[in-house]
Amino acid sequence: MSEYIINIEHVSFKYKGSDEGLLKDTSLTVTKGDTLLLTGASGSGKTTLIRLINGLIPHYYQGELEGKVTVSGRDIGNTELYELAGVVGTVFQNPRSQFFSIDTDGEIVFGPENVGLDPDEILKRKQTVVNEMHIGKLLGRSLFELSGGEKQSIACASVSALLPEIILLDEPSSNLDQGAISKLHDQIVQWQAQGKTIVISEHRLWYLKDIVDRVIYMNAGQIAHEWSGEEFASFDSKRINELKLRPLVVPDILSRGCDGDCECKETCDKVTEVPESEGIILKDFFFSYHRNPYLIWKKSFKENDPNLSLCIPRLVLPKGKVIGVIGKNGTGKSTFLKCVCGLQKECKGRIEADGKEYKGKGRLKFSYMVMQDVNHQLFTDSVEAEILLSMAEEDKTRCDEILASLGILEFKDKHPMALSGGQKQRVAIASAIAADSKLMLFDEPTSGLDFSHMEKVGELLKVLAQSGNTVLVATHDPELIDLCCDYILCIENGKLGYLKKV
Amino acid sequence: MRLDPRTKLYMILIVSAVVMMSATTPFLWAVRILMTLIPVILLVIEKKYTSALGFTFLYVAALVLTFAFLSENSASFFKSFVTGYSGIVVQFMPCIITAWYVVRTTKIDEFMSAMQKMHLPDGITISLAVVMRFFPTIAEEYSAISDAMKMRGISLGGGNAVKMIEYRMIPLLFSCVNIGDELSAAAITRGLGGKVKRTSVEELKLRFVDWLLIAAFTSVLVIFVLYKYIL
Repeated sequence: MSEYIINIEHVSFKYKGSDEGLLKDTSLTVTKGDTLLLTGASGSGKTTLIRLINGLIPHYYQGELEGKVTVSGRDIGNTELYELAGVVGTVFQNPRSQFFSIDTDGEIVFGPENVGLDPDEILKRKQTVVNEMHIGKLLGRSLFELSGGEKQSIACASVSALLPEIILLDEPSSNLDQGAISKLHDQIVQWQAQGKTIVISEHRLWYLKDIVDRVIYMNAGQIAHEWSGEEFASFDSKRINELKLRPLVVPDILSRGCDGDCECKETCDKVTEVPESEGIILKDFFFSYHRNPYLIWKKSFKENDPNLSLCIPRLVLPKGKVIGVIGKNGTGKSTFLKCVCGLQKECKGRIEADGKEYKGKGRLKFSYMVMQDVNHQLFTDSVEAEILLSMAEEDKTRCDEILASLGILEFKDKHPMALSGGQKQRVAIASAIAADSKLMLFDEPTSGLDFSHMEKVGELLKVLAQSGNTVLVATHDPELIDLCCDYILCIENGKLGYLKKV
Repeated sequence: MRLDPRTKLYMILIVSAVVMMSATTPFLWAVRILMTLIPVILLVIEKKYTSALGFTFLYVAALVLTFAFLSENSASFFKSFVTGYSGIVVQFMPCIITAWYVVRTTKIDEFMSAMQKMHLPDGITISLAVVMRFFPTIAEEYSAISDAMKMRGISLGGGNAVKMIEYRMIPLLFSCVNIGDELSAAAITRGLGGKVKRTSVEELKLRFVDWLLIAAFTSVLVIFVLYKYIL
């Protein structure tokens, strides 16, 4: 047995049905108790490496595997996955698809039950984990009503309950806000104190740079660089930029979100006034998820209703600018976007622009939202058909122009679902342009993207704004705001926190 | 109040059997309506007032329509449509209410250990558990897709019924397949499907209420079988 807890020897791997060799002759060793950060562009093989360690390759994802992986003295190729359950624990990227139970309690005990522990022992472990992580208030709730951050806490807890020696995190912060990320940071520190070996694959670096022991930079299926934690933390922004990584330091005000900044409520100007003639005016945007039961007559929401999830009596958005919408998870950013574009029918808000008023279904025509999961909004069997579907009258030349301007003309006849994530997003944006919407809303367009893709999205948003559209982009990525936003709009508990020029 | 999942499954079984036998005498109707009341009361006990009220309203409305206003010789199109419709509601509502109650109040964990206690093979237990887990996900995905369709102005598929279904189903299938894949990967890394016998922290015991309900539902079945086929 070697002194390394993870030992990857000359491994090459190719997914079944894919021409690309995703890992080429990679060797990596990890000492017990170390914290390792894997970074690099999307598709560089970070996730593949994680899957090699937790055994999903070769047991779940099939392909051609060469080389040998040993984890905690076990040869992965000859170890069944369920035997690894108590050894390696994995926290995945998407909180919504890693739950098996529908309630929080059931989720935490799910792993220990599977490996057949004694019920008393399981309950004891659950109690320990709950105390350590301070998640008592999350117990007994339905997983479907938790926020992204809370879901990720439960995912960490359910991994902890199996007491694994090795913990893998695959882009764990993608869907989290700043508060939830700092909780995740604390969780990692706690695991370190317990002597766990931790491997994290991540694009967001600012919350990890001070706590990792080693940094591995992946490029095109190979380990391109390796640094110690201190060395990496001392890199200047130029070096990071060359590596196409997200910045190590983010502007403080953005990383803190709204906190603290909204304190000065009455005294300082929270809203940069925009002249009405140069803006899009939003009026009477009220909405609540907890409406009183009604029998016959549905009352519309009023400003002084209690429990409003969204309460914006009046707001002038600067036209032709990119406006970043920030705020904590569950504070009403998505609700705001959904109300503005008219998807929440019960919100009776009105939009005024260029002397015209849009209300009810009119808002749907005036605005267009590109959703976080673009898979939900692609319907047809070719990219061209997708664009034509959005047009009032089919115009193939204009369709080609739009596709060319976004650099996706070559995929014109492809099936949208066969494209990569970034390309799909461009198709969705192309349909928005084709629909001739003046107000474009983006919900988390860069979650889980690497830096070069994020840069591209940022440039695209700027171009959209320059051609006269107003762009609202809800985001947790301070990096993106830094790249492209002209204004920041902060939503706090459904109310307007501030609107400021960057 | 917590019922044993086995009782709940038994309830579904009996109610489904009973709705297949039509009530012909006032006595049988009374038994049937009483049987329907049980899951409604259970829903109220679980504080699911809205669904309890909704179901009751629908059921009562359909009953009143069937009994008071319509008969077999209702001739007009509208009348026969309403007869057919409320007939279906009256016939199958008990089943829907019971199923709704069971799905809404059973934890997956409880359900799995109940299935294990009944010595069903793991393959069946796990697949059924995945199905239960998947219902809320499908609902979430479906509503996101409907939103996207509204935004594109294609909710009605441009007046084409086939397109309307196609536009909904294709993204739904894609995302369900993806989520299902990630879900299984996550469950496997946490030891699901191992050779070890699974344990459970949910202690299952048939309590007094369980026996009471089992007795009540058994007698409903006995009454129906007796009156319809033997007496």
